[in-house]
Amino acid sequence: MNELFGSSRLMRGLVSSAAWTCYLFLLLPSLIVIPISFGNPGQIEFPPRQFTLQLYRQFFTDPAWWGSTVQSLFVASITTLVALALAVPAAYALARSRLPGRAGLQGLFMMPMLVPVIVLGLGLYLQFSNWGLLDTTAGIVLAHIMLTTPYIMVSVMSGLHHSDVALETVASIMGASRITIFFKVVLPQLKASIAVGALFAFLMSLDEVVVAYFLTGTNSMTLPVKMYSSIRWELTPVLAAVSTLLTVLSLLIALGIIAMQSKTEASA
Amino acid sequence: MANSSSASDLSSGTALLLLAPLTTVMLLILLYPLGMTVWTSVYDGQFSFNAYADLATSTLFMKVLRNTFEIAIGGTLVSLLFGYPVALHLAAQAPRRRTAYLIMVMLPFWTSILVKSFALVAVFGNQGLINQLLGLLSGGTVNLPMMFNRVGVILGMINFLLPFMILSILGSLLSLDRRLILAAETMGAGPLRIFWKITLPLSMPGVIAGVLINITLSIGMYITPALLGGRQDMMVANLVDFYTRQTLDWTAASATAVVLLLLSGVLVALLGQVRGSRGLAGAGA
Repeated sequence: MNELFGSSRLMRGLVSSAAWTCYLFLLLPSLIVIPISFGNPGQIEFPPRQFTLQLYRQFFTDPAWWGSTVQSLFVASITTLVALALAVPAAYALARSRLPGRAGLQGLFMMPMLVPVIVLGLGLYLQFSNWGLLDTTAGIVLAHIMLTTPYIMVSVMSGLHHSDVALETVASIMGASRITIFFKVVLPQLKASIAVGALFAFLMSLDEVVVAYFLTGTNSMTLPVKMYSSIRWELTPVLAAVSTLLTVLSLLIALGIIAMQSKTEASA
Repeated sequence: MANSSSASDLSSGTALLLLAPLTTVMLLILLYPLGMTVWTSVYDGQFSFNAYADLATSTLFMKVLRNTFEIAIGGTLVSLLFGYPVALHLAAQAPRRRTAYLIMVMLPFWTSILVKSFALVAVFGNQGLINQLLGLLSGGTVNLPMMFNRVGVILGMINFLLPFMILSILGSLLSLDRRLILAAETMGAGPLRIFWKITLPLSMPGVIAGVLINITLSIGMYITPALLGGRQDMMVANLVDFYTRQTLDWTAASATAVVLLLLSGVLVALLGQVRGSRGLAGAGA
């Protein structure tokens, strides 16, 4: 009765078969790599005719694969920390001040979400080739800080929107300093939003390939760039093991984000 | 001051101090490189618009531009065609069940685009699972071309675009007043009539937003055409890379990037009209 197309059995059948086709198609890539990763180390094989951990062993022992993974984890960690240190105070200032030109600044901070990544990649390539930052860890970290801050801003601004301003007013009337208010009153209320932003930034940096492809080389290659060239040129089965590990990691991060988000909504 | 200020407001000085670091980083790492791209496109020893004139007369650029529009519009239409029924299906579920089904839509959203590309090659590629399966069934070698051509790009693209389309339409469907449907049904309207006269028109804001998000995202697509398309399926983003890396023509690369920037600027502005100030929030890659 409550259907959006009246109570027609035929329509319901058509809609749900179309929907299930899509669900399968959407899930297929995430699911198919798992069995392949435990199978034949010689070639991509499905269904696998043997069970081995050979591909995982190859991944962890090959310096090219494991090295780029360590590099990616390092870049994502530094990126997240610095992006937090930049974005959280800025979000607070935007939400709690009457500075003229706030809308313009906010527009500037959100821009990396709207500009096509390839354009950012080229711009940074031109700039970093002048500044000697191509193929350096510092270069890729700087680029990822710029790319991830908008997502932290969005999360923290929405957290500030839901937090209780009256508490800050009270603390201020009682004579607490700005710094005390920020650390003792504001930050505790923002814990969950900051965690969401941080997880999102970490995952984005870990997954980012287009800008990293422009900026990194053999010295600073990240895992996505290594994967990209491997899919393009050799299509080794090790990719299945890498993909499975990445999928599990993004799933864990997504679950963390969902758990934190429901916490912020519950407290709002 | 006309504004009423309260005790919780920051002074302008404190606000400036808190905003300065991020502003500096954005000026140096975002605006400066973008400005440099624009500058490189018009200044090569001397100031000229030659790069743009060259693009306008380049058969390669025109072909790539046509590809980009064809693939973006084609991918968006396929995504709409399949995304709409999924949104309908989700909207018709009880809330708890909807959450469970939504996970199937969100999981791919969280999956790395490289994992998806690799998996699609492994399934649809020339030696992929489907061709192997068809080979086993027919007892010969089958090479049904599903990858490294237009079909491959569209498959990869909709795998990436569908969640954005579905979530956008779902938002509209969930805010639709169900009593209208009940009333229409009581008045004797059939399911198709209800769909055409009520559900579809009232979900149009979600459809338009979904279509604009999809076109905006697909127009700048780089990975999918590079990995899943053939040589004929180069898109604007790939051309930027080609000029930068293959021909080392930074002026042409910059001019191409500026064209792409303007194109997506127009689309983002349109999207802003449709959705107020919320824009493309949450749309990465």
